[in-house]
Amino acid sequence: MSDLLTLMLLLAGAGFFFAGTVGLLRFPDVYTRLHAITKADNVGLGLVVAGLLLQAESWAVRGKLLIIWLLVLLASASVAHLVARTAMRKGIRPWKR
Amino acid sequence: MGFWGFCFRTLVFALLWWILTQGDINSWLVGAPVVLLAVLASWWLLPAISWSLSGIVHFIPFFLWRSLYGGVDVARRALHPKLPISPGLHDYRWRLPPGLPRVFMANTVSLLPGTLSTELGEEHLRVHVLDQSGDFIPELSIVEERVARLFGLILVDDESEE
Repeated sequence: MSDLLTLMLLLAGAGFFFAGTVGLLRFPDVYTRLHAITKADNVGLGLVVAGLLLQAESWAVRGKLLIIWLLVLLASASVAHLVARTAMRKGIRPWKR
Repeated sequence: MGFWGFCFRTLVFALLWWILTQGDINSWLVGAPVVLLAVLASWWLLPAISWSLSGIVHFIPFFLWRSLYGGVDVARRALHPKLPISPGLHDYRWRLPPGLPRVFMANTVSLLPGTLSTELGEEHLRVHVLDQSGDFIPELSIVEERVARLFGLILVDDESEE
């Protein structure tokens, strides 16, 4: 049962990574691409971690998985902000429809 | 940092060490001094901050749910044949005090649906929005209230500036 749930969570996570990458390729400018990569990958990794939590054999391993997710969240949000801020300061105008 | 702050940080770093070493008893020979040094370093880098346990308990489900929605939303737009986005910029006037609460909010905003913080100004947070027709302004104000609660702060509405 938990194997099946893990499989579903991992596949759903991979789906979000795929969508994030599609967004990275299809979106028109640096800002919109950052939207795609930060949010979709955050959810993708969250689902992968949730799937792996079901397979973990000790609380220390579960804690480690959660810390990995939190650190990636912190890093991706901070890096997205820094890239966007640098783009803004260099005068790159956001794409408009 | 008071006595309880010291105890709390020691507990957090000890837990972290326990997780990283996966509960290896022998590692505490190195771990105990490292935890103590980490507490001292954190004391120096980040002086005591106020936070609220009930604020954190309320923030976690809110954040998980909204960031899941953010991922679904951006995935849908990326995969949609017509690419339904109409991006723009918005300056959101801060109600939070400067420092950690603002940085925390800026990072949170980037992970929630359709918003990306691009500049932490003195008075405004400049936000890039993926879809200008969405309800991002009430969303930002809800996030700000949640973050304020997390840090045990009360927001003051500044109506005179509107």
